[in-house]
Amino acid sequence: MNDQLLAVVSQYGAPALFGIVTIAAIGVPLPITLLLIVAGSMISQGAMSLWGAIGAAGAGSVLGDQAGYAIGRWGGPAVVTKLSGLFGRRASLQTMEAKAKAWGGPGIFITRWLLSPLGPWINLVSGTARYPWHRFLFWDILGEITGAAVYISLGRFFSDRVMALSAVLSDLTWAIAALLAAVILGYQLLAHLRRPRVQ
Amino acid sequence: MLAVGLAFLLAIAGTFVFAYRAGRHVRQIRTENEPIHGWMSVPFIAHTHHVPASVLFQAIGVHPREPHDRRSVRQIAHDLNRPVPELIAQLQRAIDSAAHPPGGQPR
Repeated sequence: MNDQLLAVVSQYGAPALFGIVTIAAIGVPLPITLLLIVAGSMISQGAMSLWGAIGAAGAGSVLGDQAGYAIGRWGGPAVVTKLSGLFGRRASLQTMEAKAKAWGGPGIFITRWLLSPLGPWINLVSGTARYPWHRFLFWDILGEITGAAVYISLGRFFSDRVMALSAVLSDLTWAIAALLAAVILGYQLLAHLRRPRVQ
Repeated sequence: MLAVGLAFLLAIAGTFVFAYRAGRHVRQIRTENEPIHGWMSVPFIAHTHHVPASVLFQAIGVHPREPHDRRSVRQIAHDLNRPVPELIAQLQRAIDSAAHPPGGQPR
């Protein structure tokens, strides 16, 4: 499947990139980071334009994110719970909603590119939590354009090492996610240990 | 709270494991050539191995389509009715020959 997607982007360029990132932003797990890196490499080969690639990736991602937000907002919790099950994740809706509210705009921004596996879930719960649409749109566009620009530029710079670069970025994303989890869990442990005990 | 403690240890371990793997891949970027995959087009392979695309097209006996032939190796193998691994091996030999020409200085 990944090979076919990469071949399609390699052959058809920006329009294919737009279609695939739109589907991925709705929640289908696809190797978007690798696709953006490959697009960057194609730019350095003269097979794609820089602004065309950033525009296609940014516009496709924002479109998919907005669809996710709309599903969350107007589809209601029942649809979101069903979708969560379909995509293999049954996280507690209330927990995710609370996180979306607590993280706010910066949370939306960071899950567009640095912690991108969380992006589709944040879209859905931002909708169910009725996070203001204009703010969601602002942080969404900012994050997606940043992500597209960063990964495409990296691909352009390391254009002859796309697979290894993709592996580095994938591992770094998980390392950052694990570190974030460790900080949150460590804080909870510390708070528990400092709590005065009732005799 | 025991579960939180275990999850904390797991998260710490995960941080180190993924950071180590990222470091290992960084070393690969500096030292190893990109392997050829079926999704890659011939111009893409030529770019990643710093070899002219015409050399690779010639090696597999394909006349590139105009203006740009960006068919994947898998697609070319399908068009030629040949196995993908065979085509990849042929491309790899052409790359090796270009890097170390017989009787010449290695690039």
